[in-house]
Amino acid sequence: MSLSRTAAKRIADHVLAAAKLDEVTVECTASQDGNTRFANNEPTTTGDVARLGISVTATQYGRSATVSGNRSDKAALEALVQQAEEMAQLAPVDPEHVPLLGRQQYARVVARDRATTRLGGKERAVAVAEVLAVGDAKGLRTAGLVSHADRAYAIANKAGLFAYHASTSASLSTTFRTGDGTGSGRASSVSYRYSDLDAGGTAAVAARKAELSRNPQELAPGRYTVILEAQAVADLLGFMMWSLSTRSADEGRSYFARPAGGNRIGEKLFHDRVTIKSDPSDKAHPASPVGRGGLPLGPQTWIESGVLRSLTCGRYWAQKTGVAAVPYPSSIHMSGTDRSVDDLIAGADNAVLVTRFWYNRMVDPRSILVTGLTRDGTFHIRGGKISKSVKNFRYNESPVTLLKNVVALGKPQRVEGRFVTVVPPMVVHGFNFSSTSDAV
Amino acid sequence: MFTNVYSRPMRSTRRRFLASSGLASAGLLVPGRSVLARIPGAREPAPSSAPPSGGHAHAALADSALLKDEKLALHALDAARKKGASFADVRLVLWRRENLGVRDDHISRISRSEEYGIGLRVIADGAWGFAATNLLDRTHVNRVVDQAIATAKVNAKLLKRPVQWAPAPAVLGTWVSPYEVDPFTVPLQEKADLLIQAARGALGVKGVRFVRAGVRVLREEKLYINSEGSRLHQMYFRLNPSLSATAVDRRRGGFASRDHEGQPMLGGWEHVAESRLIEDAPQIGADAVIKLHAASVEPGTKDVILLPSNLWLTIHESIGHPTELDRALGLEANFAGTSFITPDQTGKLQLGSERVNLVADRTQPGGLATTGWDDDGVASQRWDMVKNGRFVGWQTTRDQAGWIGEAASRGCSYGDSYGSVAFQRMPNISLQPGPEGYTTEDLINATEDGIVVSGRGSWSIDHQRYNFQFGGQFFWEVKNGRLTRPLKDVAYQANSVDFWRSCDMLGGADTYRLGASFSDGKGEPGQSNGVSHGCPPARFRVNILNTGEQE
Repeated sequence: MSLSRTAAKRIADHVLAAAKLDEVTVECTASQDGNTRFANNEPTTTGDVARLGISVTATQYGRSATVSGNRSDKAALEALVQQAEEMAQLAPVDPEHVPLLGRQQYARVVARDRATTRLGGKERAVAVAEVLAVGDAKGLRTAGLVSHADRAYAIANKAGLFAYHASTSASLSTTFRTGDGTGSGRASSVSYRYSDLDAGGTAAVAARKAELSRNPQELAPGRYTVILEAQAVADLLGFMMWSLSTRSADEGRSYFARPAGGNRIGEKLFHDRVTIKSDPSDKAHPASPVGRGGLPLGPQTWIESGVLRSLTCGRYWAQKTGVAAVPYPSSIHMSGTDRSVDDLIAGADNAVLVTRFWYNRMVDPRSILVTGLTRDGTFHIRGGKISKSVKNFRYNESPVTLLKNVVALGKPQRVEGRFVTVVPPMVVHGFNFSSTSDAV
Repeated sequence: MFTNVYSRPMRSTRRRFLASSGLASAGLLVPGRSVLARIPGAREPAPSSAPPSGGHAHAALADSALLKDEKLALHALDAARKKGASFADVRLVLWRRENLGVRDDHISRISRSEEYGIGLRVIADGAWGFAATNLLDRTHVNRVVDQAIATAKVNAKLLKRPVQWAPAPAVLGTWVSPYEVDPFTVPLQEKADLLIQAARGALGVKGVRFVRAGVRVLREEKLYINSEGSRLHQMYFRLNPSLSATAVDRRRGGFASRDHEGQPMLGGWEHVAESRLIEDAPQIGADAVIKLHAASVEPGTKDVILLPSNLWLTIHESIGHPTELDRALGLEANFAGTSFITPDQTGKLQLGSERVNLVADRTQPGGLATTGWDDDGVASQRWDMVKNGRFVGWQTTRDQAGWIGEAASRGCSYGDSYGSVAFQRMPNISLQPGPEGYTTEDLINATEDGIVVSGRGSWSIDHQRYNFQFGGQFFWEVKNGRLTRPLKDVAYQANSVDFWRSCDMLGGADTYRLGASFSDGKGEPGQSNGVSHGCPPARFRVNILNTGEQE
């Protein structure tokens, strides 16, 4: 157990009882993580690591300070409180300070899988062996990571707020490279339950991509219709999710700013078929119901049939502008269909199939222009089939284009991402590849 | 494309340079000129060994909170050996962090944090094991020993080649990064006042709507003990001051941001004072407004003069990462990627033009990766990486040296906390100044059609480090040896080898500056380290993109 509700409550109670100031908040994070890496067809490094973080924020007359430590004995907790209260006296006044959030109701979310909390190096080695066997059998160079975590988060304050969320997570990713160094394929599997990971299946997908991607041919850069696998969609979409801020839009420094002032909530900005929501209570893909500062996270619609429905909004800005506070989400669910990637390929002609994107960086927040490169399986599709492996491309493109130029959507799936991310593969026209790369 | 103007650059005076730019603000063209002035050595290439510890060093270490847990650390080593480890090392690591942020004219964040724990690394049956805990008692440390040994032994059954552990002498030592003022002794009020004053200076400029300022302070302390008899106690202060202004044109619906070009540094609080945030603030604000209304760049193949505040990151990405031996050999294939350089190209690959010399070191005064010893217990050193354009040296650790037939490690091992296993991380890697002693003005005067790029913008490079695209903070057009006007929407794109081979002019020793990344990512699970790169301004041939042409 990384930190039980009872243990978290005990820490919180002790901190709040020791506090002299009226405005004090305590947050705890605890984790027990395990990982095994492998490369060149053998295990490399590994780790089993216990961590704890306790942070105390104290405020008086709008002066705030936060002090964090990683010990939970009484003396250490009292020292944190004392330091935070002392530092708060010294801090300048923050005119954007908001009063403490009171008691809240949170959705019931089951996100901690007991079996996943009991794993160690032995269990990881079984999964690693399964992946290595695929590489050895096919004569491919194998690398990857198996990891799992048991985590807990709690927040409490002197106004009666208490929230606790425990979760597990597990992931397996693997990259196979061909012996001649001209082909590379990657696949991954992510869930809150270790038993959901399919080591053999994930390895088979990555191995097939490695073999198919051998000897890539150069395709001229330009605008293409692309078939983006779900991971590639997530890699770009993340930039837009982080841009969904009411304040930045209201202040005129965001794509979502309305030129005359204010923001573009209510405007039809994207294709009819684009709907993006969040829901921490999703049974298959649970996420935290506790948002930043203890704000409850419930179902939230960001984009509905192409119309911008909401932007995130911090408590200060919400109060100032008279709107509801909307915390950053813990999950993203983008709607799709029941079509597989193979179905999307079968329906395409003269398109580029992208497995994933890499080294993605914001270039211009005005248009959410992002640059990065394709990686680990990029193919030219002709007449509904993979016709050849092509060299990787650098792109300069915005997730806005992605959501405007929709041709088709596939079946949503869980992929790697900072949020719990469930998105469909997409077919999109007019995607801008600006140069090619020799990288394999 | 190269006329004889390039081969005989003209000297020019500073006055002529300013006159040619037509703007007093051209002073900021070489931003940070004063920033590093007093960091000892930060304007000179690295020496062969780390600078001596600061004067207060031994007092700081004698009072260390880590010493009370040394017995526990020795117990862990002992228990690991008894359970079958052929090698073991233990790190007690304490991090203190302080973070102050200012939004517009008020404080938005004051926080301090502390993280402390113990990490044990073992080699058992030829395989690595590692486990760590924040709970410093026998029960939890015994559990860590069991986890590390058990995982090593089970992984050993899947191993094809046991770990080859290069020898290193057993050393007893202490080292503290040189500093004048312990940043944690400076009153918070004084720190806050400095940032607020800087922010107000930028906010006072007409057209500037938003400002952010901040300073992050890190104190890292570790006690490393290994089963070979080494015991190394070290402490570091690292600081990152920042200031950024945003101008908004509501009528036409545009905005532009301008970051100060001061760099993170290994040093004391004096570095923040010397970063001149307050003095430079009005110019940072004015630059944001200039940038908002600047002419949009004409794309095409052009010369670029990259100033140190921009070039350091290009060195980092296009030379730093591809010369990590673990990358080149496939160990990072599942995440960061591999490399365009392979070990058989050592001493053969012409990576850059004749004038390109790059040196790796963990000895550079002010360098974020500078240390006394690494996390394998190996002394810091300096070595050639690229000599007259030819690739000659790798970054290695003790478990990598044998892979390329080298007898000893280059000392590049680092774990970013008690809970992170040490592995190969980047040393400081720096481009050496040219022998001609050119000034920045000389480079400009010698350029017919080009762009001067300063500061760090957006950056992206592929997973083998061929194709990169970088932005910057500020851009000046150069026509016929003169600065003509500020530009915006500039990104330069090139292939790493083409880029370095096109390098045809370097500034001299007086133009050498250190730039740095406070948090360079690598590995799975991800780890972060600080690393610095020194360089003079230099000229290259690249593909210029207009990033504002997108919808």
